[in-house]
Amino acid sequence: MTTVLLAPLDPVHDNAIKLIKRKLVDAGYDAVSMPPGTSPEEVIQKALELSPSAILVSRTLGYKVAEILSSLVDLAEAAGLRNTTRIGVGGMAITKEIGTELGFDGCFVGELKMGELIDFIENRISCNEVDAGQVSSRKKPDITGAYSYKFYDTTIENYLGVIADQVTNWVGKKTTDGIERAKVRMEMLECEVAERESRVNPDTRKRLLEKYIGFCDAEIKAFYQSEQLPNGVRWLGKSEIDKVPGLFDSAHGEFTPLRHTGTKPLFFSQYGTGCPVMDVFHIKVAEAWGIDGVFHFDPSWNAQREGLLEGHLTHEHDGTIITLENLKFIRHFMEPYTLWNVRGHRGLNTPETQVLGHAAGADLFKINIPYGSTAGGTDPQRLTVDGIYSLMLAAQYGIPFDIPGNDELSGVPPYKTFAGLLIMMALGLKLGARPIPKPLLCFSPYMTINGLMDDNMIEMNIAKLAVWRDIVDTPLWPGEPVGFMTHTPDRVQSALQTSLHATLASTMGVDAVTIASSDEAYSKGPISVQARVDTLRAVRDELRFQGSIKANITPAIESIKDEIHEKITATLKQVAERGDFVASIYEGLLGSQEDGLYPGRVGSGTVRE
Amino acid sequence: MKKALDRVVDAIDIETFLYCKTEEEAKELAEALALELNLPHGDIVFLEFKAWGARVRIRSYIHHPGDQYRWMETQEEK
Repeated sequence: MTTVLLAPLDPVHDNAIKLIKRKLVDAGYDAVSMPPGTSPEEVIQKALELSPSAILVSRTLGYKVAEILSSLVDLAEAAGLRNTTRIGVGGMAITKEIGTELGFDGCFVGELKMGELIDFIENRISCNEVDAGQVSSRKKPDITGAYSYKFYDTTIENYLGVIADQVTNWVGKKTTDGIERAKVRMEMLECEVAERESRVNPDTRKRLLEKYIGFCDAEIKAFYQSEQLPNGVRWLGKSEIDKVPGLFDSAHGEFTPLRHTGTKPLFFSQYGTGCPVMDVFHIKVAEAWGIDGVFHFDPSWNAQREGLLEGHLTHEHDGTIITLENLKFIRHFMEPYTLWNVRGHRGLNTPETQVLGHAAGADLFKINIPYGSTAGGTDPQRLTVDGIYSLMLAAQYGIPFDIPGNDELSGVPPYKTFAGLLIMMALGLKLGARPIPKPLLCFSPYMTINGLMDDNMIEMNIAKLAVWRDIVDTPLWPGEPVGFMTHTPDRVQSALQTSLHATLASTMGVDAVTIASSDEAYSKGPISVQARVDTLRAVRDELRFQGSIKANITPAIESIKDEIHEKITATLKQVAERGDFVASIYEGLLGSQEDGLYPGRVGSGTVRE
Repeated sequence: MKKALDRVVDAIDIETFLYCKTEEEAKELAEALALELNLPHGDIVFLEFKAWGARVRIRSYIHHPGDQYRWMETQEEK
C-alpha cells in the first residue's frame, strides 16, 4: 500500500488535511496525518520513519510562510528524501509562484481536485503541468437518445395524431420563397464543394446566386447586387478575423461541469452580442466556467427579411447576423464537446437557417410554429409551411430540435403553450425528427394576473414539469431562459433567481436548462461577460448546496398538475375538432388576443401552391 | 456641491472581466486598472481566473470606519 504523509504546517488549520486523508484512505492509500502545529523538523523525522511516496503539507496563515516552507524543503534535501519522496504544498496562503520558487514538486491552489493529487502521488504527471495543454476526453452529450417518445396519455396521443395529419395534409405541396431559398442554398453549398474539386463550371454559382436573389426582398437584393449593407452593419475586417485565433491559442483545460452530482441537466446559455468576435469570447468564457451548450440568437430584422446575407458581418445591435461565414467562424472556436443550437423557430428564413446551421455544424435546431407565428412574429400560414419543411430538414440531418414555450411571456396560460409544444412534438415525430419540449419556468403575466404564484414560485413550476411525465416519455429542457420575468437590474438578485430556477428544474430530473446571465433582462445594452460568469457561478453553488435532492410532488403540486393536464387535453380536443391548425392559431385556440397573443403578420400572403 | 465621491459611504467596487492568459497577469491588470481609474488604494477583493480571462472585483475604500466621513458634512451644506 502506498503511504502518504500529511502535515498541516499551521498552528490551527487542518480541515483540508483531514479531508484529503479521508479521500486518500477511501482511494486505498495508507494516509498518515500529523496534528496542527507540526514543525518542519517533525515532518521530516516522521518521513524518515515511514518512507512515504509523498509528503503533502498545508499552510493557511500567511505569517512566515516562505520561512517555514523553505525550511521543510531544505531539511528534506539534507535528509536525502528528495529522490524518493515527492513533496507537495497547498492551502490558502500558498500560490503557485511560492510553491515553485521554494522548490516543491507540486503546488495545489484553489479548489481541491483529488484526481490531480493522486496523479501527483503516483508521479504520473506534475501538478504544475496539469493545467496546460490538457485535452478533454469529454464526449458531446446526447439529449434525446434515452427517450422512446411513447405516449402514456393515449387520448392526447390520438388528438395529436389527428392534428398532425391535418397539418401535413394542409401543407401538401405548398411552398414559399423561404423554402425555395433553402433549396437554392443547398445547391450553392453543393456547388462550393464541387468548385473545390474543380467539378463544376465557375458560372454555376453565379447562376445559383441570381436564382437565390430572385426569392429575396429589396434590401437583401441590394446587398448582393450593389454590396449595399443594411443600416448599421459592417464587414469584419480580415485583420480582426485573423487576430482571433491568437487570443485563444492556449489550452482550455479539463471541462468542469456546473453539476455537483450526476450527468444532467446540461446547461445552456444564449449568445448573440451582434458581433461574431465578441460572441466567440463570450462562448469561450462560458465554456471555461462550465456551460454545456450555447445557442445562437439572430437579430429580429434577420427574421423579417426575405433572404440572408453572406460574409463575416457585425453590427452594434442585439443578435448576431446569420450568415454561413459567421456561423462557421463562431463554431470553429467552440470546444468539440460544446453543444450548439442555431435557432430558426421564427421568421422568414426558418428553412434556410436549418440548412446553414447544418452546414456550419449545429447539433440542435429550434422550431416552434405556434410561438413563432404569434406575438409580432411570422404569419401562421407562412410559418406552418416553412416549419414543416424545417422539421423535414431536421429529420433528414438527424438533428434534434427544441421547442421553446416562450409564448407564455405574452400572457398565454401554460396549458395552451404546452398544447402547442405537443403539436410540434407530434409533427416532428411524424416527420422522423426528435423533439425536445421546453416548458418555461417563469413568473409570467398569466401567473401574475391570476395570482397563481402569490405564495411561492415552486409549486406551479414543478407542476409545469411534472405534467409532462404523465403524458409522454420525452426529454425536458426548461427554458428559455429559466426565471424569465423574475429578474431585475440588480445582478445579485438576477443571479440568485436564475440559480434557484435552474436548480428547481434540476430536482425534477430534467435533461437540460437554459440559463440567463445577470444582465439578460435589463442590462441597458449588450450582455457583459462578467454577467455570464455571475450566473454560472451562482448555479454551480446552488447545485452544490442542493446535491442530488429530488423534488417531492405535494398534493398542492399534484392538483395544479392535474388541472394543467386536463386543460391541455381540452385545448388539443378543440384544435383537433376545429380541423384546421392554421385557423386554430388565427382564432387563438393556442393563445388568444385576450391572453395577449396576436397572430404574426410578417410574410402574410406569401404561401403558394 | 461637493464631489459625488464624498457621498460614497464606504467603498467603490469595480466588477469586470479581464482578458488575460495567467492569474498573475490578471492580478497585475486589476491593480493597473485601479490606478488608471484613479481609485485610491485599490484592492483585489475577488479574482477567479480560468482559461481566457479573469472575473474580478476591485475595491477602493473611500471612507474607512473611524474616518472623518465627508458625507456627514452634507448636513452642514444644507
